[in-house]
Amino acid sequence: MIIIPPTGGSLLNLVDRELVEPCSSGGVMVDVAVIGAGQTKFGNHALGLKGMWSESAENAFASVDGDFDPSMVDEAFIGSIAFGGGQIGNTAALLTEHTGMDNIPVRRVENACASSGFAFRDAWMAIKSGQADIVVAGGIEKMNDLTPERKRYWLGVSGDTEWERLAGLTFPGTYALMARRHFHEYGSIHDDLVNISVKNHMHGLDNEYAHLRKDVSFDKAQNGFMVADPLTLYDCCPTSDGASTVILAADHVAKSLCEDPVWVLGSGAGSDNLALHDRPSITQLVSTQRAAISAYDQAGITANDIDLAEVHDCFTIAELMATEDLGFAQRGEGGLFAREGRGRRNEGDVTINASGGLKSKGHPLGATGTGQVVEVFKQLRGEVESSRQVRDASIALTHNVGGSGATCAVHVFGRDLN
Amino acid sequence: MRSTCIWEGLKLSSNQCINWQGNLACLKDEGLVIKSRHVVEGKHVFGPDSDYTTLAISGLALLSEECDVKQIKIDSNIDEFPLQACGYLIDTSADWNISCDSESACISISKSEDLTWQVDGEEFDPELYIKIQDAWAMELNAVSQGAFVSEQSYRSGAPSRMNFISQQLGDIRIWPPREMIGDQRPHEAAPLTQAGTIESWTTLSAGGAPSEFSLRAPLLGGICTVYVRMDDGPCGVFLVADDETNVPVIDNRVNFAVRRIYAQDGLIRYGLKALFS
Repeated sequence: MIIIPPTGGSLLNLVDRELVEPCSSGGVMVDVAVIGAGQTKFGNHALGLKGMWSESAENAFASVDGDFDPSMVDEAFIGSIAFGGGQIGNTAALLTEHTGMDNIPVRRVENACASSGFAFRDAWMAIKSGQADIVVAGGIEKMNDLTPERKRYWLGVSGDTEWERLAGLTFPGTYALMARRHFHEYGSIHDDLVNISVKNHMHGLDNEYAHLRKDVSFDKAQNGFMVADPLTLYDCCPTSDGASTVILAADHVAKSLCEDPVWVLGSGAGSDNLALHDRPSITQLVSTQRAAISAYDQAGITANDIDLAEVHDCFTIAELMATEDLGFAQRGEGGLFAREGRGRRNEGDVTINASGGLKSKGHPLGATGTGQVVEVFKQLRGEVESSRQVRDASIALTHNVGGSGATCAVHVFGRDLN
Repeated sequence: MRSTCIWEGLKLSSNQCINWQGNLACLKDEGLVIKSRHVVEGKHVFGPDSDYTTLAISGLALLSEECDVKQIKIDSNIDEFPLQACGYLIDTSADWNISCDSESACISISKSEDLTWQVDGEEFDPELYIKIQDAWAMELNAVSQGAFVSEQSYRSGAPSRMNFISQQLGDIRIWPPREMIGDQRPHEAAPLTQAGTIESWTTLSAGGAPSEFSLRAPLLGGICTVYVRMDDGPCGVFLVADDETNVPVIDNRVNFAVRRIYAQDGLIRYGLKALFS
């Protein structure tokens, strides 16, 4: 049980910065770059696990500036919860055998919705440690090949099964509790969440990989079907199929394979009590704060330096809280931040969820984290559709949360190494 | 034979009838009668999440406020495990006998003959009543297909789930129980006071509810969960008991009572639910 009382007023205030130790390897070992990244469209797929992974990996291989031979890959980490698709054990071996990465060490990484955020971190660490030069991090989830009844069994599996599920909670309910408490403590209102929903749908409208490419009006989002009071359908991300693949390389290899790599400037991760009731506050995520502090310190930046952020908006309240936990807004002012439109593409301080986020782009659980990296890779290289390109972006962030915040991975990327 | 211990010098007098944990209870010289408040065509019927077992636990909780009740004998309509989890010893030679009225949602707890009591209740939609009872029957036969609370986990956590058995570490009360190591290992402590304050709440629509509630949630218009800070310090999430239609309010007070939570794999699972004070 954590007994630190919540306090207010600073950017990252529940976690004591002194308690967060920067990664010991930061800056002293090899530098790591992303040299390729690709994904499937997120949504309802006719393809199964193998087909989606193959499509995603092929897109990633093709994105490398030069010819890329997958047999060069030393190791692979693939995030998945194994929601659907029928393959639970040894998923990574099955997938990599279909994409030319034969006989290499592979494993499935599971950290709920942050599975591939952590797969990416594991891949980064494998290179940082000197054990590998080229590593694939990816993620995959098949969510829509289950009957509605089977799908229901998977709702909320990453919360505290014994104490939250028996209280009727799945994640819409968990985040609804956070939202109502945030409203109560800080005076944020549901319209703030509506603003986030409208923004993310607007951002995702031109994203060819997005699940829900539709313009959603404020009025429509405001009056959506109530899923978990106060969260409506327009506050909740969809359940999507999808896969994403990222290729990481050590600096000495990256430069020979890729003319225009995107550098990993910082990798941070954190965890927290699984159950909401064991946390000192339900209006902020300690795991995000820890991960952000660590990643920022490694990168030598602050939140103010970030041009675009792919933030884990499984529910709109999650984005609102993330803007505070990541330091874009003061504690309690995430609602105001949304109200003022400060996360809109090319309008505010920082573009939040240029891809459309989980709300519009979709949320194939295990594929989401590396899917965020795909977006950042393309944005920083100026390769997305011109209508949704973030101008002059040089530093980007990805924020991938597991469940209601028990785990979180934050990564900072740069156009340049320094 | 009359009881020799109950009601003597007590705050509650004999033949006083009260609303108790969402039920109707009548204290008599020889014991008490407790009934569901729900009535269909003049007959007391179980509410959406109650049965003889929950009535028995509720009645015993009231009785225990007045005298020491440790050993009881029960009839076969009552699930003995939840009563044991609440700290009662089932003993066929016990003085206190709990008997169920086979014709209505009513039980008698006494040391002598079965007690009776006539009282009006609240009309319950007869169609909804039948649908909910049918849903419980179907739910009992459901088999888990994904994440679920195993019978072993349910049983091991029952004293905390049904009686708020807590832990203590220094000045800190801990609930639900944790299995920490080293100097963070707490020791078992007395049950929490069964009262707290609502800090947040939500009503989950039927479609968003866990599969365990998929049959009943549509009938009840979703399921309501409150996030409560207990008076003793810990927080917890709880379903709201019965078919409560009032909207929870942050900072309002709640009490708790044992009710059915859900059924699966042939086992009805019970636990504490919140009652608006």
